[in-house]
Formats: sequence, C-alpha cells, structure tokens
Amino acid sequence: MPTEYKVHSLEDSSVDLHDTILTQRMESSQPCRVLVVDDDDLVRARLTALLRNAEFEVEAASNGEDALRIMGSRHCQVLLTDWQMPDMDGLTLCRIVRSEHAEGYVYVLMLTVRDSKEDLLKGLGAGADDYVVKSAPVEEILARLEVARRITHVEYSLRRSNRENRRLAVTDALTGAHNLRFLMKNLPRELSRSQRYVHPLAVLSCDIDRFKKINDAYGHDVGDDVLRAFVVRANGCIREGSDWLARVGGDEFMVVLPETDVTGAKRVAQKLRKVFSHCPVSTHAGPVKLSVSIGITALEAQAEIRESSKIEDLLRAADRGLYASKADGGNKATAASIADGRVASIKQ
Amino acid sequence: MGSIRRRPRMAAAIEHDDGFESLRQAFHARLESERVHFVTLSAALARAEENPVWIFEDLVYRAHRLQGGAAIFEESEVAVAAGKLESAAVIAAESRAGNTDENVWAALEALVKLMGNRDSVRDLARA
Repeated sequence: MPTEYKVHSLEDSSVDLHDTILTQRMESSQPCRVLVVDDDDLVRARLTALLRNAEFEVEAASNGEDALRIMGSRHCQVLLTDWQMPDMDGLTLCRIVRSEHAEGYVYVLMLTVRDSKEDLLKGLGAGADDYVVKSAPVEEILARLEVARRITHVEYSLRRSNRENRRLAVTDALTGAHNLRFLMKNLPRELSRSQRYVHPLAVLSCDIDRFKKINDAYGHDVGDDVLRAFVVRANGCIREGSDWLARVGGDEFMVVLPETDVTGAKRVAQKLRKVFSHCPVSTHAGPVKLSVSIGITALEAQAEIRESSKIEDLLRAADRGLYASKADGGNKATAASIADGRVASIKQ
Repeated sequence: MGSIRRRPRMAAAIEHDDGFESLRQAFHARLESERVHFVTLSAALARAEENPVWIFEDLVYRAHRLQGGAAIFEESEVAVAAGKLESAAVIAAESRAGNTDENVWAALEALVKLMGNRDSVRDLARA
C-alpha cells in the first residue's frame, strides 16, 4: 500500500539536530558549574573557595566581559554576579545573558551590597532569578545556591527527557531505525541542500519480498527478527554519517543517499539486494531465506536538480521503480526517472 | 586594626578549612592599606576648596568596594560604616557639595576610626 507522505517545513527539521548537540555539550558540563563574577579579587577567591567546598564547579571572572567570554566557551548553570563593577555592571551582564540564546537555562543570582527594595526589583527586572546581599550569612548564600543547583538540575532533566522524547518520536521502536516522521522532516532538507549546491541526491525504496508469507509461516516474532536484520544489514551497506534509512511501512524502507548519482545508487542497491539473497537471516525459528526488491531514483542532471522541488516526485519515482521490481518477480533493483517516468531494470 | 573585633564565624557548615582564614588575613592587610588611602583622601578633601567632586567619587568607589569585601569577610561594622560613607559621598558628589560636607566627614571619621586610626582624620587633615 502506498505510503502517504506529508512534508514538514525546513524550520522544523533543523531543530532536533541542533538541540541534540546542545544537550550533548550540557551533559559534559554536569555537575553544577557556577561562574563567580566580582571585581574584588579577595571576594572572588572567598566565594570560589566556599563554593568548591560545597562541591560546585567554579569559574571566576573579574568583569562582565570576561564572564561572557567564559560563558561562550562552556556552559555555566549558575551565574553569581556582583552588581557594581567597572566597564560592564551586573545588571547589564544579566540582561545580555537573558537576551542571548544559551545552552540550557542560566540561573542568575545577584550578590551585592545594594540592599534597598528598589535595587532588588531592579535586579530581578534585569533577569536575575534571585538576589542576596553580601552581608547575608554564608549559610544563606549557600542555601540559595543549592536552590539554584536544584532548579538547574530539574531544567537539565526536563531537557534530557524532551530530547529523548523527540528522538523516540522519529525512531521506529521495533528496529531502532528512523521512522516515516524522520523521513518527512529530513528529506526536504536533503533536497534543499542538493538544489542549493547542485549536487546529486538518490533515494532507494526497498521492500522485503513475500514478507507476509514469512510472518504467516513463522510468526510475527520471526517477522520482527527479519525487519531488525534488514536494518542492521542495510546500515552496513551505506555510508555512516551521510546516508540514512527510515522504516516507512510494515516492511518498506527508504534509503537516502546524499551526494550520490544514479550509478552510485545502483551500486548500493545491488549490494543491498545481494546481502540478503546470498545469506539467510538468523531468526528465532532458524535461518530464513529472503530477498529484497528495490526502486532507485536520483536527481543528478543540473536542470533536474534545480527544477524538482517536491520530495513527493522523488518518492513516487522510487516507488515506481520498486513496483517494477516487484512486477518482475522480486529480488530486483529498478531505476526510475523522475522527469519522464521511465523505468529501467538494472543488470543483476 | 585594634578597633575591629574578631568575631566567631557564622557558618558552622564551613568550619573545616576552606581557605577562609588566610583570605581573611589578606583582607585585613588590605584594610590597612585602605585606611591609609582614606586618610590621604581626607587630607586631599580638606585642601580641595574649589572642586572636591573627584574626591567624593573616589570615596564612593573605595567605600563601595570596602563594603562588599567587609560583608563577605564578616566585618559587618566596617561594612555598615563603609556603606554610610558611600551614601554620603554619593549625595555630596551629586549635590556638588563643598569640602566641608558634614555627613561625609562624619562617615569618613567613623570608618577610619573603625579601621584602626587612633587620631581624628579631621585633625590629621588639618595637620
């Protein structure tokens, strides 16, 4: 049954990968790192010692500029800053931190001698999460930093959980391969890149021959083994890091090959076909022989790359090739042209 | 430094060695040099009949810095006195007060005395 494809916007598709990178960088920065900003070297030294003793990781800066430089190079979960400093004061620093996109949330605690209600409101208004006067007992300063640690940890846990949810949303639970949602989010980006740089792009549509019979004869557990084996073997036939595959239906898979023309795509298709036809799959019920039918399409001529703006055209052409392979008895790879709809079986 | 009483530390949780004592000693050494600065500024203020604004501004900067350090090193009397001097000097600078501003002199006198000066800064300035 043909799969219904829905195209997502490019803006959506760029979010996941970016967020993953940020979260990976955050993971490396656990446990809680505090950036102490004060122009008084003795105060900095005192706070640094106090916080290290309380098992915080500590960075120190003598002014706002230095603080921003440090925050630009590594994530600090907590910013403990003085208010009045030469060049850039704590309020300005706080506003900049809030206006910039940071890796995770930065909890800002202002530590100052200014103790009026008006000053407190100014500090919070600039984006500080908490405000404490320097004359407060150290227990209070530490207690407030523990609050900061707790909140940033919760924020980190939520971020990690969201990342995992997003990963699961684009992952096929049975095989661990990408799913249809991933394909529809990321194939437009591959197409866009291909058009921008006028580079070729190939897509393979793959289907396990007589998969229903395998399920009927051996049971669904064996069918599941076969699907998992397909993903493992197919991943072994493509380039890690640039090529990728997605499960788009029961036994249907799409393989996306950036920077690959039709000749290269045919090579991959043949490799994929042979890796199954030459070697049975190990399952719960013992070795099962199977074969794969493949449809191939590629954007490679300059005009074709520039004019084909729909991924639906690409996917339909690959599916036409697949149907032709099936109609020819299966265990075949057939190339289909996007432009004129012609199909051509490739030599076995 | 005789006027600054050594009080027991407030944080029982940090009684173990976290470098506090050595830093506190460094802070007290700095207090001594700050005291000299304040006495010097007093003398400069006494002589600056025309335009003492720059002295008020310097007092604001030094008093503010001292207030923060003293608060962190648990010298609350010094911190309070420095805060009063900062406030007085801010008002004097903004109002373009003369070099005889009583609030500034009183705050300066109190702070420097607390930092260990036996003689009045006014007397020292006149001398």
